[in-house]
Amino acid sequence: MKILLKGIEFDDNVSVAGYQSRGGYESFRKALSMSPDSVVDEVKKSGLRGRGGAGFPTGIKWSFFIPRKTEKPIYLIINADESEPGTFKDRLIMERNPHLLLEGILCGAWALQAQKTFIYIRGEYAYPYTVMKQAIKECYEKGLLGQNILGSGFSHDVIIHRGAGAYICGEETALMNSLEGKKGQPRLKPPFPAGYGLYGMPTNINNVETICNIPFIVQNGGDAYFKIGVEKSSGTKLISASGHIKKPGIYEVEMGYPLLDFINNECGGMLEGRKIKCIIPGGSSTPVMTGEELVGVNLDYESMRLAGSSLGCAGFMVLDDTADMVEVLLNLTKFYAHESCGQCTPCREGGHWIEKIVQRIADGQGRPEDIALIQSVCGQIAGHTICAFGDTMVMPYQSILKKFASEFEAKISLNPNSLVAKSKRLAVLQENQL
Amino acid sequence: MNEQNLDLITLTIDDLEVSVPKGTVIIEAAKQVHAKIPHYCYHKSLSIVGNCRMCQVEVEGAPKLMIACHTQVQPGMKVRTHQTSDKVREAQASTLEMILINHPLDCTVCDQAGHCKLQDYHFEYNAQPSRFIETKVSKVKAEPLGPTVMLDAERCIMCTRCIRFCDEVTKTSELGMVNRGDRSMISINPGKELNNPFSGNVVDLCPVGALTHKQWRFNTRIWYTKQVDTICTGCSTGCSVKLAIRDNQVVHVKSRPNSATKQDWLCDEGRYGFHRFIPKHHLKDASVKQQVVSIADALNNLEALKSNDTAFLLAPDLFLEDFYLVKKFRESFAPEAQVAVAYRGRSLTELEKILISPDYAANFRSAQYLGLISDNPESDYQTLLNKIYNQEIKNLVLVGDRAIDLQDLNSEIVSAITKLSLSVAIIADADSALRTTCNVVLPSRSVYQKAGLMISNKLRLQYSERLLDFDFSTHPHWRYFEMLASKFGKSITLAKEDREMTLALLAEINADPSDLNTNLRLVRKQGLEIAFQ
Repeated sequence: MKILLKGIEFDDNVSVAGYQSRGGYESFRKALSMSPDSVVDEVKKSGLRGRGGAGFPTGIKWSFFIPRKTEKPIYLIINADESEPGTFKDRLIMERNPHLLLEGILCGAWALQAQKTFIYIRGEYAYPYTVMKQAIKECYEKGLLGQNILGSGFSHDVIIHRGAGAYICGEETALMNSLEGKKGQPRLKPPFPAGYGLYGMPTNINNVETICNIPFIVQNGGDAYFKIGVEKSSGTKLISASGHIKKPGIYEVEMGYPLLDFINNECGGMLEGRKIKCIIPGGSSTPVMTGEELVGVNLDYESMRLAGSSLGCAGFMVLDDTADMVEVLLNLTKFYAHESCGQCTPCREGGHWIEKIVQRIADGQGRPEDIALIQSVCGQIAGHTICAFGDTMVMPYQSILKKFASEFEAKISLNPNSLVAKSKRLAVLQENQL
Repeated sequence: MNEQNLDLITLTIDDLEVSVPKGTVIIEAAKQVHAKIPHYCYHKSLSIVGNCRMCQVEVEGAPKLMIACHTQVQPGMKVRTHQTSDKVREAQASTLEMILINHPLDCTVCDQAGHCKLQDYHFEYNAQPSRFIETKVSKVKAEPLGPTVMLDAERCIMCTRCIRFCDEVTKTSELGMVNRGDRSMISINPGKELNNPFSGNVVDLCPVGALTHKQWRFNTRIWYTKQVDTICTGCSTGCSVKLAIRDNQVVHVKSRPNSATKQDWLCDEGRYGFHRFIPKHHLKDASVKQQVVSIADALNNLEALKSNDTAFLLAPDLFLEDFYLVKKFRESFAPEAQVAVAYRGRSLTELEKILISPDYAANFRSAQYLGLISDNPESDYQTLLNKIYNQEIKNLVLVGDRAIDLQDLNSEIVSAITKLSLSVAIIADADSALRTTCNVVLPSRSVYQKAGLMISNKLRLQYSERLLDFDFSTHPHWRYFEMLASKFGKSITLAKEDREMTLALLAEINADPSDLNTNLRLVRKQGLEIAFQ
């Protein structure tokens, strides 16, 4: 089943002609023949959930705009600031299937009656940016964007903006601040973007992958989409698989696909002679799952949640038994400490504090009480910050520390200055004397 | 805002019921039950950013703690502050621990020590040793942000009050936040410097010692100073200020938020310009034609003042008491005499207009209040100056050091005054040109050496406190008029010192003379609105 990766094998897919030769922009023509509200209804029926990580139902999000009492323009933002470590699915869509994204935008814009769409693309995505830019240009030339699109009377503009490389700008309100030319720092909520978003206007924000599902839903109806996947997680999901597997890459699977099957079939299994140690399933900000925990887990939001982790944005990082979990944690803490926006106290100070402690443990200077200290600092960060950054940051930390505590203890016990090491040396000495 | 028209919302805070208008945030509502919620970034006159996380409270039904500065009250809300919730106490202690991990803890040399919110809150809400043993982040320690303010980025807790002040109040946007994470710091925006007319306020706003006045850095420990709540005598806005005094010197000026006027700021001129009210050398002796004499002897030469050819030229920073006795004296002995206040208007930029009044005349309203001068004080003043030039008057009484505005005090006016048959100056500054110009000079006190009432531009009766010591050989200005009046045979007041005089005046102004002390307390604290008859 290919919804999102349809046609990516053809090089001419990046042109309007090539895309249209495979049925492109038919969905948008169909959407124009429907009323905006009925498009929203189809999306609601489809059970599509946001692919950015939180999994909020897209139809419900869109229905906030149904009353349309406001005189203000409605803006649509496409979050293409894909910076989550281990996630690279949107990049493929934008590189190989840019018109699918644009068609999704047009359908969504029609449904929301939005005036403008802003695509906020990650700064480092230079090539996808040029592809998207070219695609937008071509759409304007072919009359698929701009004034009076396809003679329907509907006008829409798409503006693509490159970020400057901050992870936090993937957070919706920070993204808006960044688009407005301010420092990319999350805003306090309320007000929520649906009422007061970009430039103070009602704004809807969707992930690239989410919006790319819309053409299929419009074309085949919400019910057809709902039948794909499992009950509470419908449709397909792009999974960016990386790590110690034979075939890393991006795979489109139906929701509810067994996780171990995915690793063994799609990914070609673990590297020769290696054993699976753990996976970080949803991009780096989700709790890790050990090899034993993977049995019987399916790739959908509910199943992953029951297993104690989250599907997130499906940035699969598979680690084998050669991975040093102290180094893994150090890597993660360095990333999050570097990317904290510095606005609110717990995340700004706590993130760095943890990084320094983990660095010390990795350097062989750990103390036995450090593990409890990190856990305690994690507890001080989670739930006390403006945005979800603090919460998502501590989730992998806490789970790694809990599930691989023995590795940390082993590393700490090697500290020549630690009490454990001292007492061990003492024991050896006493034994020798006896 | 008429509060009766607003919907009131009832909620409980720490099990106590409060009713507040719709849209109030919890932190303000809590003030009604005297639950002081600790905060750094919140300021009632600035926008809300909610980044310090110090004001977290527990709201029943909410999954996590809410910040009291941003959460608006809802009907039936049940709020628990640190007084009743362990969870909140834990969160506050943890926030303080986080704030302090990269703080240099250089309290021993920090100007803020003693009035620092970090110290206060740490003792009150955490008081635990830090668990942080790593190396602290180092940042710049002394960066000048402009001509008046220095930044110590290590002490900064990133509450961004200073940024918001420059963005929202002065709208000059000199400050910004650079870098991310724990490297983030306050900095001046490229190509700018913090030199707006209200720059000193960012130091008042800073809850810690990150921003300091260039002028007063490393000057004194705050606990060695006497802090006096008074008003600024720079212009007729009459902002509330808090002055710190040590060894008979003003060492620090802070704005004092006044809940009645809803004014929180102070201009740099008022803050750094108080020196102009303190003479370098104080006049101690009376003199007649440059010869030192006793005050009694000097007063003997003033019989001629009982004439309608006398004119009174008054400084605009005299107190209501002084104006009052001038009025009484004039009524009794020279009813037709000319009176003017040395009022000179000034032009202001749009930015200055948010606070500063277009004058240097702190108390000209008092003279208007007493009917001494007209609605156009500037033309009164110019008319009288012209009369002096043209020798149309015979006797001139100059009351106060600025009885002639410094811009007008040139050789022409000096020679015109010397030609008058009698000129009297009641001044405090020994270096004043008036001292050598006038026939009779009487030693008085500068505005900080006496206490009295002032009326602001917006008709608010306020009280200026005595801040500095005075020489006992001097008298306040009003006292000379009483001495003269009793000499001329008709006493005009029974008061002997400032406070008696103030109470006597208050009794006259106020409808309820029975409770003068309460009234005076109110006037001293926040002022009292009065109406012109």
